[in-house]
Amino acid sequence: MSRIPIEVIVNGVAQRAEVPARRLLADFLRDDLFLTGTKRGCETGVCGACSVLLDGEVVKSCLSLAVQADGHEVTTVEGLAAGEDLHPLQEAFAEHGGFQCGYCTPGMLMAAIAILHETPSPTEAEVRAGLSGNLCRCTGYVGIVESIMAAAEKMRGT
Amino acid sequence: MRDVDYLRPETVAEASALLAELGEGGRLIAGGTALLLALRQRMVAPTHLVSLARVGGLRGITYDPRDGLRIGALTTHSALARSAVVRAHYPVLADMAGRLADPQVRNQGTLGGNLCYADPTTDPPTCLAALDARLVLGSARGDRSLPVTEFLVDYFTTALHPDEILTGIRLPPPRFDLGHHARFHRTAAEHRPLINLTLLARRDGDTVAEARLVVGATTVVPTRVAAAEAFLAGRAVTAAVAREAADIVADAVEPLSDLRGTAAFRRDMLRVMARRSIERLMPPGMEGREVA
Repeated sequence: MSRIPIEVIVNGVAQRAEVPARRLLADFLRDDLFLTGTKRGCETGVCGACSVLLDGEVVKSCLSLAVQADGHEVTTVEGLAAGEDLHPLQEAFAEHGGFQCGYCTPGMLMAAIAILHETPSPTEAEVRAGLSGNLCRCTGYVGIVESIMAAAEKMRGT
Repeated sequence: MRDVDYLRPETVAEASALLAELGEGGRLIAGGTALLLALRQRMVAPTHLVSLARVGGLRGITYDPRDGLRIGALTTHSALARSAVVRAHYPVLADMAGRLADPQVRNQGTLGGNLCYADPTTDPPTCLAALDARLVLGSARGDRSLPVTEFLVDYFTTALHPDEILTGIRLPPPRFDLGHHARFHRTAAEHRPLINLTLLARRDGDTVAEARLVVGATTVVPTRVAAAEAFLAGRAVTAAVAREAADIVADAVEPLSDLRGTAAFRRDMLRVMARRSIERLMPPGMEGREVA
């Protein structure tokens, strides 16, 4: 079967590749670009661990083909920090216990970025609705919600 | 997922010709959220995916007071939910789209893809049936249009011909001033509705001048309950009226019965949903009002 040439801007860097049509965006990021921050969880579109931003909107990369990202911009969790400086959202997760095992965290961070982009001063209910596509099996979400509320305050102040 | 070829036509006619040529081997891909699951579970195993991403004219939302609303088939659920004209003139549709599935699926999934997949357990068909939506089907042979209720035929089955593509959704100008789309989920974490119900009404003072009530997700295709609409017309909503109308709805529908919910359970939940929807739309007088 043919391989399809694609060009995707990933975390600000133009990436050219030839991929089989069936290559998932999640697998392209992890196995071709070695950006293993994005996690494969349920691989059925339920858990949200594979969430990334596509042109600024949060999507599940296990429900997308790499070819669908051709000509678009992808941001993964690796694109949040500036060098050694964590993004304020990442700092907030560390300060407020926003994770335990950490497996859902990359997806949670990307979903949270999307929430704060659309609603810079969210209510707790808005945060929870914005996380409805992401599962955490450790924390019960309390720490995650607190982290995002704290990050919202921090990001509004800066 | 089996290996597959990927084609990117640029017009509806080109895409239609490819579908005609490929037959069973060809599958359209729009957002891909439903198709990718079906591919990976090998429920479908096409030789070619025909992408609509480069086909022009399938996006955008326009409104005209005389012609109503036109929605491109590739409009995502989140674009529908955010659209200023949809929010202004069809708030029930914007509200439904804004609560569909989860944020990621709303950003990826398209209204056209949702309709063509024809999964009974989803919200848009019920809401669109209540709003008298017509679907425009294009092919190399030309266009035709069908009411959404004729487009949806059975479980995962539509009236699309093999070479046809759903290009747009059209709604007549709104004639109801109140509306609500209700969903019942078995658990808070689940996104597939067990039952949904769209209720629209035109008000005349304290009474319902005209009502529209469609039940879905618990029937194979959306089911309009004309008996409940007729019962509500001309009546002021009281707790007793809402209860009686809800009984009519529950008795009129033959619910599915499966592992997700027995027919008896679904019928009971439908009765509760119908009563709450009617009371929510036109709150009855304070005496005897049951607060949900």
